[in-house]
Amino acid sequence: MRIGYVWAVFAKEWRDLLTNRLLLGAVAFPALVFAAIPTGLVAFIQARDLDPNQMGQIQQYIANFPGVPAKLAAQAFIVTNFMAYFLLIPAMVPMAIATQSVIGEKVARSLEPQLATPLEVSELLTGKTIAAALPAITATWLVFAGYGLVNGWIADPRLTRFVFSDVWIIAMITLVPLICLLSVLLGIVISSRVNDPRTAQQIGGFVVIPIIAIAVAQFFGGHATFSMQQVMIGDLLVAGLVGVTLLIGSWAFDRESILTRLT
Amino acid sequence: MIVVEGLRKDFRSLTAVHDMSFTVGDGEIFGLLGPNGAGKTTTVRMLAGLISPTAGTATVNGHPLRETTQQIRAITGILTESPGLHEKLTARQNLAYYGRLYGLRAARLREAVDRYLAVVEMTEHADRRVATFSKGMRQKVAIARALLHEPEVIYLDEPTSGLDPSAAKTVRDFVATLRGLGRSIVVCTHNLDEAERLCDRIGIMRGTLLRVDTPVGLRRHGRTATVRVELNGARGPESFIGRLADLPYVTGVQARENTLVVELADPPHETPDLVAALVGAGARITSVVEEAQTLEEAYLSLVGEIGERDADR
Repeated sequence: MRIGYVWAVFAKEWRDLLTNRLLLGAVAFPALVFAAIPTGLVAFIQARDLDPNQMGQIQQYIANFPGVPAKLAAQAFIVTNFMAYFLLIPAMVPMAIATQSVIGEKVARSLEPQLATPLEVSELLTGKTIAAALPAITATWLVFAGYGLVNGWIADPRLTRFVFSDVWIIAMITLVPLICLLSVLLGIVISSRVNDPRTAQQIGGFVVIPIIAIAVAQFFGGHATFSMQQVMIGDLLVAGLVGVTLLIGSWAFDRESILTRLT
Repeated sequence: MIVVEGLRKDFRSLTAVHDMSFTVGDGEIFGLLGPNGAGKTTTVRMLAGLISPTAGTATVNGHPLRETTQQIRAITGILTESPGLHEKLTARQNLAYYGRLYGLRAARLREAVDRYLAVVEMTEHADRRVATFSKGMRQKVAIARALLHEPEVIYLDEPTSGLDPSAAKTVRDFVATLRGLGRSIVVCTHNLDEAERLCDRIGIMRGTLLRVDTPVGLRRHGRTATVRVELNGARGPESFIGRLADLPYVTGVQARENTLVVELADPPHETPDLVAALVGAGARITSVVEEAQTLEEAYLSLVGEIGERDADR
């Protein structure tokens, strides 16, 4: 694979993305919403005292933070529990960008002139993948950093430490890029088979279901957040899915089938 | 030089192209004419290394088709049926992107982009987004894109589609210049007039090549050419019929008002002798015009013949 060619595709995609305000909004909006909801709850709790009559109901949640005052433990539970939803950003955003990118090119018939150059399909896809994944990874990391700092500032600096735990730093460094990659590859596979970005995104929407299921199960199970072991299992699982999707993708995005499906 | 031997492409049960054999020399413009679905685009896609043939072989400037597709793509310029530009980028950004994909960098890239923007008369629109361009402007940028890396082999699918007459002439002239530079050029077109003006040889195809010849050769195909000789003077044309009927190369002759309509097998060689014979017999000739069938007639008769033959099967 030649870096110069990958860079050329990436730069073109990036330039294209920066002119697409709607898509940029789609990158920023979910990230801000996922951060704003728990931050609002933390601020709400900070402004009030906990009702002693309701302490029994949240006892199992605040038990995740022994030795921490009840109010701070409740805030810590909210802050850390919501972080599972941060994994939706790398799942949703790259899918939107990738489907828009590939289907947009199919509709504009701009794939054929690119495939007629010495550019290899793998270089084209790598450039597109990086261009689609980078905004999502950046958005997730920025929101993660801001989330930890803002909540610590609103309530207690110890909240920042709960957010920037070893588990979540590892999850951000490993799981987020892997989910991004899986999402882009799924977006590309789906886009190679359909000609409408909305259809592709609807099909691709299923990728978020396991993440939401995990987040909900975690809440009802009374667990504040993931353990390191769970993150590692998640890494292995997603990496395996990436491998399978790569195989399917190399078959689905074959130069010839893409061209003959255009006509 | 392009050498094609027995090329075939199947899409599952559908055979798009079969038994394609032809050559395109250096400095030659070869036209591919055929109805929609005749396999012109499939042929070009195979030769440009975009899709692989099911059977047959081809070499493009010495590079075998199956083994060296990347090298073939590097020396090939292709104008696709649809311009396929990136709408949100400017004309200059589009060309710069493709220049990079063809391996141009830095000053060489900038020079090539500026040069070809000027060739297609788009310099003043270079920094406008393609989304704001008319169809003709897009076509010009796509032509510049196909030529940017100075390809040795060029495939042009409907090169003057959407262009005004002046721009179309500019493009035709430029393609003729490329021929002068020794490039091998294949033009796919429905525009028979353009094919006749531009191409050195034309291949009429419908799944396979039905006939390959020069435009003149195609017009004459299967027909005795007719020469109209207009006379002026006291003697009527019917007075020359007997004299002409004795000539061995005249296959038929008719008199119409002040005109003789003479059928010849090979007008370029036989017309001077015909004129000499008439003048020798005392005719006063005002004009001599060869009436060959048009390329359109030749094309329709060839494609129609095969179509009827297929229908009968």
